[in-house]
Amino acid sequence: MLKYISKRLLRSFLTLFIIMSITFILMRQMPIEGYFQNYDKLSEAQIQNGIRMLGLDKPMPVQLFNFYKNLLKGDLGMSLRYRNNVPVTEILAPKIPVSVRLGVMAILLALILGLPLGTLMARYKGKLPDHLGTAFIVFIQAVPAAVYYLFLQLYGTELLGLGLLFDPDKWTAWILPVFSMSLGNIAYYAMWLRRFMVDQSTKDYVQLAKIKGVSGSKLMFRHIFRNAFVPMVQYLPATFLNTVIGSIYIESLYSIPGMGGLLVDVIKKQDNTMVQGIVLLFATVGVIGLVLGDLLMVVLDPRISFGAKRGNR
Amino acid sequence: MALYRKKAEKLQDSINESILKRMPDSEAFSFAGFDEQEVERSGYSNYSYWRSTLHMFLKNKVAVFLTLIVFLILLFTFIQPYLPNQIDPFLVNNDPKTGLPFRNVKPNDVFWLGTNSIGQDLWANLWSGTRTSLFIGISVACIEAFVGIVVGVLWGYVRKLDFLLTELYNVMDNIPTTIVLILVSYILKPGIYTIILALCLQGWIGMALFIRNQIIIIRDREYNLASRCLGTRTYKIIQKNLIPYLISVIMLRMALTIPAAIGSEVFITYIGLGLPATIPSLGNLINVGRQLMMSPDLRYQLIYPTIILSIVTVSFYVIGNAFSDAADPKNHI
Amino acid sequence: MAKKTILSVKDLNVKFNLRGKILHAIRDVSIDVYKGESLAIVGESGCGKSVLNKNFIGMLDVNGFVESGEILYFGLNGTEAPGQAVDLAKFKKERDWLKIRGKEICMILQDPMTSLNPLKTIGSQIAEAIRLHQNLKGAELKKAVIKTLEDVGIEDAKRRCRQYPHEFSGGMRQRVVIAIAIACKPKILICDEPTTALDVTIQAQILGLLKELKSKLDLTIIFITHDLGVVANIADRVAVMYAGEFVEIGMCEEVFYDPRHPYTWALLSSLPQLGVKGKELYSIKGAPPNLFKHIEGDAFAVRNPKALKIDFIEKPPFFDITPTHKARTWLLDKRAPKVEPPEYIRNIRCGKEKRG
Repeated sequence: MLKYISKRLLRSFLTLFIIMSITFILMRQMPIEGYFQNYDKLSEAQIQNGIRMLGLDKPMPVQLFNFYKNLLKGDLGMSLRYRNNVPVTEILAPKIPVSVRLGVMAILLALILGLPLGTLMARYKGKLPDHLGTAFIVFIQAVPAAVYYLFLQLYGTELLGLGLLFDPDKWTAWILPVFSMSLGNIAYYAMWLRRFMVDQSTKDYVQLAKIKGVSGSKLMFRHIFRNAFVPMVQYLPATFLNTVIGSIYIESLYSIPGMGGLLVDVIKKQDNTMVQGIVLLFATVGVIGLVLGDLLMVVLDPRISFGAKRGNR
Repeated sequence: MALYRKKAEKLQDSINESILKRMPDSEAFSFAGFDEQEVERSGYSNYSYWRSTLHMFLKNKVAVFLTLIVFLILLFTFIQPYLPNQIDPFLVNNDPKTGLPFRNVKPNDVFWLGTNSIGQDLWANLWSGTRTSLFIGISVACIEAFVGIVVGVLWGYVRKLDFLLTELYNVMDNIPTTIVLILVSYILKPGIYTIILALCLQGWIGMALFIRNQIIIIRDREYNLASRCLGTRTYKIIQKNLIPYLISVIMLRMALTIPAAIGSEVFITYIGLGLPATIPSLGNLINVGRQLMMSPDLRYQLIYPTIILSIVTVSFYVIGNAFSDAADPKNHI
Repeated sequence: MAKKTILSVKDLNVKFNLRGKILHAIRDVSIDVYKGESLAIVGESGCGKSVLNKNFIGMLDVNGFVESGEILYFGLNGTEAPGQAVDLAKFKKERDWLKIRGKEICMILQDPMTSLNPLKTIGSQIAEAIRLHQNLKGAELKKAVIKTLEDVGIEDAKRRCRQYPHEFSGGMRQRVVIAIAIACKPKILICDEPTTALDVTIQAQILGLLKELKSKLDLTIIFITHDLGVVANIADRVAVMYAGEFVEIGMCEEVFYDPRHPYTWALLSSLPQLGVKGKELYSIKGAPPNLFKHIEGDAFAVRNPKALKIDFIEKPPFFDITPTHKARTWLLDKRAPKVEPPEYIRNIRCGKEKRG
């Protein structure tokens, strides 16, 4: 088991390393304008000076090596266009807690609403709750998030009597962003939980439990729900990814001072180092999500023993 | 038909009765003889995979209706420019009296859905945009399917490639799609082909893995081994045991890729990396509409594109799922 | 000895609704099950053995329904109907069935590999059954779990009850499944092909265990099987089923040594043990009839090389051969021509006479 976990971690490090290297190399292919505050007004000598200062004149492997050396020291470089000569980490630091808070709330809300929805749909399979739930899932999955986020903002703010702008001290201001962000995950959880519960409910062991006299609701929770939840864990990482994408939209729509909104801003300002820093951060979150999903699976399912010991036959 | 059958049954009953009456015991208790062909007929089934699939699909009325809608929308995006009284989507319409452009004109006889903020006809833009978005979606789906199938076949058949591609898959599968999308769009020049490239960059590998697994199954699954032992030729196994399942999953993936790609275009346009504003697309139209949505008078500029977008994406999603349900032999009876 | 009926099925008709078509799975079935006996129900796949038994514990698939007939259960000694019969065919609600399932009638499924919850320990799955029906808690419950495991022949029960199903082999798992079933303390135990998924050496062990438990716990066992070897090993009485109805019912000896229905002949003839060396093994031609259609006359007639004309026209009634043995074939009618059973069957008889 330990072997599996270390292998899994090693692979994700490798993945991150590849993503980072490719991102870094691609970023160096950008026009050099992206590395200067006001490129047009600078003289040729100033530009050359700047390139030398940033180390852009060195061969690529050296640049890459320096990048990793700095990364280990926790240095992601300087922002050049978004805010001139401020370390990227310094800009990001206050934004991270905001995004994390938003993301965690959205995931929790999705679990609180999505799991009961899925259970309800499985319990009343083929009946009205199932059909309504399916319609909701189809809508959320098929219609691009941008569209329903917009309409939620449009009519939600009118309904709640809120201004368009986000105010972190007013708790009502959190309702719409968190709810919008959780919608995708609610549909996702409900869909998979329903599918797995329906799968499980036809299994022999459920039949046997029923035969031995376990009643409906106990059967649903003790046997079906738990066994359906384990394969679902595999799909939890996607939650992280959905939340990352959601945060890019939502934070920018509501002007929430988080990383997602920041990404849209720095893209518009073409600040290469900032884009690079945020992309790396998001990629890390995504990869960590995947690893967590796999590890959780190991904890929950006794069958995964990775050849450590086999049954006494 | 039912009436006819009832009649036939009645007739049979009366014949039976009369036989029993007329037939003396000696005859009734004589041997009936044995017809070997008749025996085998009792177990005969006239099952056909594609017929059952089609039958099941046609039974799903919603999916059939949406298929029709998608087909009509697709057709209409092509014939719309040739209809009478259409306005060029790129033309900035000026008021002949004042010489100023018609900005944000409400829907009327000339501009069926009104005009946008620089005076272009929204109706024409809407269809032109739908055409662009559908083009992106369908291209991505086709390219992904093509590359995925080619790589998947190589992956499955060439054993030397297996290790390399499996490792590649493990890495690529871990990269968040959105990150690839943003990165590629940021680095390359904005345009339709950039978006298509960005969207295709990752999707093919999922398809390839699927095809590879299927090919390995041809080699190893018991029923295929059994077929082979009975002397069935490989192409026949592929045709009978593999293709039906393969095609249904490929169709499902393609059908779901289209709405996802259209949605991604909207997303990438929103964060400012999408198509240039000069190319109408559903993403651009929605982005323009979003900026105006707070004034209720102009909200129509957001609502019309979102309606079309929602119809298209929901339709593809539902059709894909309905088809895959219909193609699943477990649902055939 | 007067036999006490514990379960009585009368003219039962069960149908399934499959996408608008009606499948008539159980056709006018009547049988009495006596207390303490072991009854084997034999037949080809799809003849309705399992469907019939699922009716006894309310596990019929949702698209199936009892159209007519009664299933009288005499074992219930609760407050509502002491000593009286309850008609299981009238049960509709989950709550009704909870009185029967486990406590009165329990069932063992065919595949031990899938009938245990993979995420719960063996101990907790047995404990669940005990808690439901015996009201034990804490240390007592734990003791009962270990005792039950020991009863079904699992060694080192203390350690093993903390293990998960995937740590057990097929035969061991079937023992666990049996442990769960007997932990409910049922009066009737239905075994749905309990040994089909196991290899031959294990089969014998499991059958031995069931025999032992039957006498120890005073169980009534209904065996569902297509394996005649199992039947000979364990059954007191045999009922042969074909296309949703019984064609021959009798004591084990009677059915094996003096079968009367052509289908029973065919079934016995296809036993490899009875084949003659150097001769091709007998096999029944064709497939069972389509139950979507109305069956005219004797259902087996089409596949019976020696069918009479009347077999195609009218359904034969049951003819009594002895008080315990009856068969549903026109061959037993006094007007019928004399038909000798096939060679294999005559061989069994001779063998018996020689031995007897």
